Amino acid sequence: MSGTTVPLAIGRQRTSRVSTVRAFARRNPRMVIGGTLVVAWLLIAVLAPFIAPFDPIKVVPSDSLIPPGAKHWLGTDDLGRDVLSRVMWGSRVSLSVGVISVSIGLFVGVTIGLLSGYLGGTFDLIAMRGIDALLAFPALILAIAITSALGPQIQNAMIAIGIVAIPAYARLTRGQVLTVRARDFIVAARTIGASPLRIVIRHIFPNVVNALIVQATLSTAFAILAEAALSFLGLGPQPPYPSWGQDIAYSQRYLPNLKWWMSVGPGIAIFTAVFAFNFLGDALRDALDPRLRRSGT
Amino acid sequence: MTRLLAILTTLALVLAACGSTPGTGTTTGGATSAPSAAAKPTYGGTLTFGLENDVSNLDPMLSGLFVDRNIHYAMYDSLVRVSPKGEIIPWLAESWKYSDDAKSVTFSLRKDVKYHDGSAFDADSVKWNIERYIQTKGSSRTADLASVDTVTVVDPSTVRFNLKAPFAPLLGALVDRAGMMVSRKVVEAMGADFTLKPFKAGTGPFVLTEAVKNDHYTLEKNPDWWGKDKDGNKLPYLDKVIVKPILDADVRLTNLRTGNVQLLNGINGKDVPAVKSDPTLTYLEVGSFSWNSMVPNEAPTYIFNEKRYVKAVSMALDRDEILAKGPAQGVGLVGWGPISPAHFAYDASFKPWPKADPEGAKKLVADVGKGPLKFEFLVSSGDAGILQLAQLIQAQLAKADITADIKLQLFNDIVTLQQSHKHAGMTLVGWSGRLDPDGNTYDFVVTGSPNNDSSYSNAQVDTLMKAQRAESDPAKRKDSLLKAQQIYVVDDPSRVWYGFGVSPIVSIKKLIGMESYPDRIPRFQTAQLQK
Amino acid sequence: MITYILRRLLLMIPVALLVTVVVFALARLSPADPAVVIAGEQADPAVLAAIREELGLDKPLPVQYVAWLSHVVQGDLGRSFQTRQRVLEAITERLPATVELGAAAILISVTFALSIGILSAIKRNSVVDLLASSVTLMGVSFPSFFLGIVLILLFAYVIPGRIFPPGGYVPLVEDPFENLRRLVLPAATLATASLAVNLRQVRSSLLDVFGHEYMRTARAKGLRERTVIARHALKNALIPIVTLVGIQVGAIIEGAFITETIFSWPGIGRLAVQAIPSQDYPVVQGVVLVSAISFMLSTLFVDLLYAWLDPRISFESAAV
Repeated sequence: MSGTTVPLAIGRQRTSRVSTVRAFARRNPRMVIGGTLVVAWLLIAVLAPFIAPFDPIKVVPSDSLIPPGAKHWLGTDDLGRDVLSRVMWGSRVSLSVGVISVSIGLFVGVTIGLLSGYLGGTFDLIAMRGIDALLAFPALILAIAITSALGPQIQNAMIAIGIVAIPAYARLTRGQVLTVRARDFIVAARTIGASPLRIVIRHIFPNVVNALIVQATLSTAFAILAEAALSFLGLGPQPPYPSWGQDIAYSQRYLPNLKWWMSVGPGIAIFTAVFAFNFLGDALRDALDPRLRRSGT
Repeated sequence: MTRLLAILTTLALVLAACGSTPGTGTTTGGATSAPSAAAKPTYGGTLTFGLENDVSNLDPMLSGLFVDRNIHYAMYDSLVRVSPKGEIIPWLAESWKYSDDAKSVTFSLRKDVKYHDGSAFDADSVKWNIERYIQTKGSSRTADLASVDTVTVVDPSTVRFNLKAPFAPLLGALVDRAGMMVSRKVVEAMGADFTLKPFKAGTGPFVLTEAVKNDHYTLEKNPDWWGKDKDGNKLPYLDKVIVKPILDADVRLTNLRTGNVQLLNGINGKDVPAVKSDPTLTYLEVGSFSWNSMVPNEAPTYIFNEKRYVKAVSMALDRDEILAKGPAQGVGLVGWGPISPAHFAYDASFKPWPKADPEGAKKLVADVGKGPLKFEFLVSSGDAGILQLAQLIQAQLAKADITADIKLQLFNDIVTLQQSHKHAGMTLVGWSGRLDPDGNTYDFVVTGSPNNDSSYSNAQVDTLMKAQRAESDPAKRKDSLLKAQQIYVVDDPSRVWYGFGVSPIVSIKKLIGMESYPDRIPRFQTAQLQK
Repeated sequence: MITYILRRLLLMIPVALLVTVVVFALARLSPADPAVVIAGEQADPAVLAAIREELGLDKPLPVQYVAWLSHVVQGDLGRSFQTRQRVLEAITERLPATVELGAAAILISVTFALSIGILSAIKRNSVVDLLASSVTLMGVSFPSFFLGIVLILLFAYVIPGRIFPPGGYVPLVEDPFENLRRLVLPAATLATASLAVNLRQVRSSLLDVFGHEYMRTARAKGLRERTVIARHALKNALIPIVTLVGIQVGAIIEGAFITETIFSWPGIGRLAVQAIPSQDYPVVQGVVLVSAISFMLSTLFVDLLYAWLDPRISFESAAV
């Protein structure tokens, strides 16, 4: 029974593991590529303290402004700090902001969506108007406004981006709840006396989980980009801590002097990290829920 | 005593001429891009000047910032001015004469001068102005004019300053804000708004017509200005000067390159080589009077009340590295005190800590016995170069186990905080410099002086500094100045000095006639915009 | 139809109100004391108290909110703490620059998206299509400020001649040529981010339309491919594209903040970014409010247009 192609996630036929994986990879190359990139960045973020070649914060004036070379693969900045190390450590900031803010958005958004869809009535009305109010702001503007109000710190950036992420999850969940609620078997279940929680877990969640996964992946991409933008504007972690956006803002003054590596290093990092999550998200969407193809990001 | 004055001024001339070419790579003093003598000047045009920060007070009486002076010099005339070589030259005063005992000086005023609002400039006006500077509560010019007892109007174009005691730096002070003449009519009409919008209040080559905070200031040609170039052509040549505050040095340079502005008087050291080799730009440089420092708060209950901490910081700094690797990128000079190579009283052998001494600093802090030194380091926000410098200093201090916590704040806010003696640790603030070494030192170290932001007080320094003010013999003055410097830099430190700057003029090639002065202030009246 | 419009407008009011609450709350959230920002740290306590009273800060929050809202409705957005200029004035002074930049970016973006999108929809799964979708994905992932910086590096410092200056602004009325020269790089930067979103939207909406019943019917009728596309697909694909322009306004506003900062373009985005470090809240508040309202209005306009273009929509209850 080896070598049979198995449809993704459905069916419990026993086939050899390796061939399942290989088949999977063949059918979903994009997911594999995206997944690998994402995992790579996650590993870099987690392992940065161990794999970064130099101390990202230590100032070494004698080594300032060295172009990329054998010793410093991405060169050094004007304080002699290794750009590659700063990029690696910077991933910790970007990815943690990405993951935590999306978690906030997910948790709060799903809760609101569930309550809204299930309870309906006034709560639903108010909650949805609130969500609309949040959506009335262009996302980045809202993030900038919240962060600058709370103060330029990494925690506040997480909160701000988290708040900005809430509406998508709230709407998704609520929509799913509304769809499922009306179905006959739910009515039947309730007549039997099944508790709401059980209904939620057994019937609503499984239907919405796929969409949530896709949304979460894509949200993370946006969150990383947003964090970079906030840091670029000076609203993120304060110096000397490495942050991709801030490093770009800080070293763009050297571009006229053609010292490009200090800005290009973090820039490429942002691009590849965001691209990884976007790519994976797209692939997941195509695989898990083709119906979602119509909607934009 | 007139002989002494003659000797003084000649000496000042000679020494200033010698002193204005420090370091390597600088054009000789009085660098200019002047046109050939016989060419007919080009009239007209609007010049946009990129200023490094927004101005605070356009009233010379209240002003305390270097950036204010950039506009003052265009719209106000002072009694005397300084030439690019550092000589004091006639301006609103055509000539002056000291009395034999040097306790009074009589100025003969120009007769063809009117304020922009039409009111007459005469001896009464001078008297009113000086008295306003001395007597008004909150005036920042009291220290400059402390030696002046009374002002007597001899006749409409002659005025006499009666001094309490001979005061050598007086003329130097009258070159700048303390000698600037403003229209009484406008001051009385505008009241508290005068410092924000002193329209038509000066006699200078340009008239202030617009003042939009944080955005721009417009100066228009004064068609009735009395100044002429050496061929007898009326000055100024330009029709308009627009001053735009741009905080970030890199953005300023970009604006120059894109043509948004045509003139700058400050750029980052890292950009100097590129600017020098850019065929579309002109770069002029002279050594300036300016110095850079870290200002501690030495008032009681503050951490730097313990002077040994200040000394430790001073010892731990690596000044050579700051100059070479900081934003200056090698442009400028290393220094330990406030008397610059451009001053007659400069002592090239004054190098208390030739190399960074982190071990000595550690030992000093240990001697105090209160544990490691940690302080708040207030740094001006909005400029990546200054942030880099702060981090560099932070790293140097860390080698001596001194922790400097960088805190970013708007420059003008820092200065305000500092001047009210409320900053917690140290700030990073410099001084644009004055012609006379007194202007670089006295107000910063003498007890209770307006710029003594570190709340420093040392009786010996007070005595020495007051003595040099009354001393007319330059050699004896220099001696007192240097003795005082030794005390307030090394023995009982008042702040941490680490270097001197240069005075650049960076402009598009089409702008000619701008000269570089050691005080870094552009004189727009000689500038022409060629077509 | 009218009912739909009225219903939409009615729904917008509570949302708009909530938006104002959010904007108000954000300003009050900040730990900065406006009196201190205006008067300085060591102003006399009496002076500080006077300023607080003048600003109405001593009253309870709901009262402050109502007072603020009534001012806003009359067009008074307060005064900048820093410059004391009326915020509405500061915004209207700079709005033309932002609008010009945004319009140019939308123009570039939609043109490119349409041409590439149509091409790739026709030649489905070909190289062009693949390229287009890759470009889409990359564009969405590229941080706009980084792109701006790279463009500056290339055009201002690497490629000789400096055809496109790295920023600065000359008003259109003063010197159109100089204005347009300086517009190219910032508009290109701003267009890129939304280009990707547009491309994706155009492509997917065209694909959808291709699959629809009436398309098959048209083909069955024997109409040529090109006619089919022109007459039917495009008209129906126009609907999502119109939505597109509406969505773009949001992306443009977001991008403007950053792009204007990099290129020193004197628009409202740069105004707000400059106001942030000095804690000049009336200015930030004002710009954020204007951005939100513009965004809401553009979404509304697009919804109405959408309803007009596609009669099926107007009678469905909006799935809000």
